[in-house]
Amino acid sequence: MKDLAIETKDLTKDYGNGRGIFDLGLSIAEGEVFGFLGPNGAGKTTTIRLLMGLIHATRGSARIFGLDCDHDAVAVKRKVGYCPGELPQFGGWRGSEVVAYVAGLRGDVKDAAITTLAERLDLDLGRKYREYSHGNKQKLALILAFMHQPELVILDEPTTGLDPLVQQEFYGIVRDARTRGATIFISSHVLSEVEHVCDRVGIVREGHLATVSPLEDLVGMRAFRVEIDFADDVPVDRLKRVEGLDQLVVTDHRATGLLRGTFEPLMAAVAGTRVVGFTSREPSLEEIFLTYYR
Amino acid sequence: MLIRIALKQQTVGVIALALVVAIGGVLNTLAFVQIAGTTPAERAAFAQQMTLLGAQLSYMLPVPVRIDTLAGYLEWRWFGTLVVIFGIWAAISASGSGRGDEERGLVEQWLAAGVGRARYLITRVAVFAAVAIIVIGAMQLSILLSADGEPLAGGDLFAMGFNLLATTLCCYGIALVIAQLVTTRRAAGGIAAGLFIALFLINGAGRTADVGAARWLSPFYLFERSRPLTEGGALDPLGIGALLGAGVVLLAIGVVTFARRDLGGTALPGTSRESRGTRSPSRDPLLRLPVLGPLRQQRIWVAAWLVGFVALSASLISITRTIVDSLTSSEVPFLRAYFERAGLSVYDSFVGVIWLSTATLLLSVYAIIQVASWSADDAEGRLATILSAPVSHTRVILERLATLLVAVGLIAAASSVAVYMVAAGQGITLDGGRVALAATLLLTIPFAFGSIGQFVAASRPRMAVVALSAVAVFSYFVQQFVPLFGWPDWVANLSLYTLYGAPMSGDIKWAGVAGLVGIGSVATAASLVALRRRDVGA
Repeated sequence: MKDLAIETKDLTKDYGNGRGIFDLGLSIAEGEVFGFLGPNGAGKTTTIRLLMGLIHATRGSARIFGLDCDHDAVAVKRKVGYCPGELPQFGGWRGSEVVAYVAGLRGDVKDAAITTLAERLDLDLGRKYREYSHGNKQKLALILAFMHQPELVILDEPTTGLDPLVQQEFYGIVRDARTRGATIFISSHVLSEVEHVCDRVGIVREGHLATVSPLEDLVGMRAFRVEIDFADDVPVDRLKRVEGLDQLVVTDHRATGLLRGTFEPLMAAVAGTRVVGFTSREPSLEEIFLTYYR
Repeated sequence: MLIRIALKQQTVGVIALALVVAIGGVLNTLAFVQIAGTTPAERAAFAQQMTLLGAQLSYMLPVPVRIDTLAGYLEWRWFGTLVVIFGIWAAISASGSGRGDEERGLVEQWLAAGVGRARYLITRVAVFAAVAIIVIGAMQLSILLSADGEPLAGGDLFAMGFNLLATTLCCYGIALVIAQLVTTRRAAGGIAAGLFIALFLINGAGRTADVGAARWLSPFYLFERSRPLTEGGALDPLGIGALLGAGVVLLAIGVVTFARRDLGGTALPGTSRESRGTRSPSRDPLLRLPVLGPLRQQRIWVAAWLVGFVALSASLISITRTIVDSLTSSEVPFLRAYFERAGLSVYDSFVGVIWLSTATLLLSVYAIIQVASWSADDAEGRLATILSAPVSHTRVILERLATLLVAVGLIAAASSVAVYMVAAGQGITLDGGRVALAATLLLTIPFAFGSIGQFVAASRPRMAVVALSAVAVFSYFVQQFVPLFGWPDWVANLSLYTLYGAPMSGDIKWAGVAGLVGIGSVATAASLVALRRRDVGA
């Protein structure tokens, strides 16, 4: 069995009024890519800040590679790269100065690694930080997280603000890190985001860990919120018989529902009717929770 | 809503400033009776000597008029200084309204919420004016209540308050326009403060020399044209009119410019964003070294302080002979004894007093500004970035202090060289060893201030600047008023400035120096504990 990269036991940070994270027990093996999913305010960032030793637990413990995240914080951070969810402000510093300064703090960074990352993410390090767009600031944060080739990378909603092409490059960087043996911990509030790279996924809701599952189990949870506009009356009876279609609501000429599985039964049910509008979107995690964890 | 938020942003600062100026007003009022005496003869003698002294200090303060009265004394000693403090306050506040909120993304939020640009800025100006009225009102009330039978007309005091308000708004207008021409709050505040000091010096020079129409550019001159407190004096229509007119025009320019320029950009044409177009990290080795890295990022700021402080030191020392000759010619025994006790009767002692008292004040201001940036490190996520690297809390605390002390060391060293050379040029021989020692001991002041500030910043970051400013103001008042009121030594030693002493005027107060080092050491240790215990970013 592989050693554990991250291990938490009864980890709790209680901010009062039910806010925070409670009794979190996680075990993440070395070399694993772990997705930490949850709606906004579920406690993802709090968990990450506890792992980084930036805040102190109310009770419980968190260990990284066997080191206590609070008491051995300096030793832990030699092994960890971190991309925060809320980006820091460096004002008039140039990107090149920010990375050089943080590289100086770490002391184990090769300039070539920085250059490679900047090229892959297409980031001009010559600009002043305040002139960067949100996406470019996010790219810089990713460079700071990966530049020293850490054994563990902790990423808090890392693709926020990145365009689709750069997102693909980011997934490539994660895969490369995994190939060299690094462990990756990614938080997100979008299921499809972690599907690209994760082996296992933990879902947290209202401060409590709801489940930890292999990715393939979660893929079975995939569902789509569908909205169909008909020119004539809605074929209600046919829709009610569609396999995997739940939460059906019919108003005037519109039908909405949550579809699991394939689209084929639904398409067969509406065949022969005059469909004037058809939209489908990925449901929010909250909707998945309402479906699966009521 | 806009008004409520603007007021909320300033609540702590307003209360602190109102308290400071109210206490200052009371202490100056009470001090008048202490130093001027109570009989007509004592006051006439006092007025004669202070008029002589005032003539020598005319580069700093207005020429005194009817100084045998409380009204004349306050107009000269208190309001002559206060107008500069209010000018600096206006610079800080206008740079915050005109640029600081924009840096923090608040302006974008307001504009996105449907608030018009003009309405946003006019609201901020109106709130500042309201706050200034409250602060000035609190001070006027405190003076009236402490006047204790001295003749002082409420209407005259009100007129002086109006004059001060008009000057403050004019300064606010100048700083608001400057904020439209640069891209950062720090640059806006720094340029405005520098400009005000220059305008203050132009006015000072104009009191004894012909500077032509340039003096009319100084709001401090326009302020000084009105003498509503002294008997027979009144508001000068030309001065007040110019202040109000300039204020309105400048504020309008500021609002219109803000409405027309890009958010995040400047109103100056042709200032395009420049990029060096690189994928590589900076090769500057300083950036990767402890202490020198942060110092390198502050190099322009430190250099500006160094040049400014050297210039100020040199100008202060250049007038030493004139002032000392005036002081030692005093025919009033009390004043002569006071000057001798204060170390102002011998050239080299005077150099020490005037240079070191200015240095301790300014270097504590430098420390407060540094503490403000440490608090911002926490709020703006930089501290979390630093602690995400293998960096201990201890290193953060010690590196900040070391950076502060290295910067202050450079400024103090350059200043001491300037003092030594200018004094030599004046024919005043200074003990080089004593100058070097006094400059070295100057480090104890920012060490104590920085450590106290670091402790507050580690515990309650948002309170750090206010708390440290309160320590500075308290220390200043205690140092100024203990000799006048004859308070005991233990009260005097509550002031960090008193603990530093006057190392060029007599024996060095090693106990005081040890006290400063002790305060700094204890506060540093407490900072370590506080930073370790606190949640970063909370």
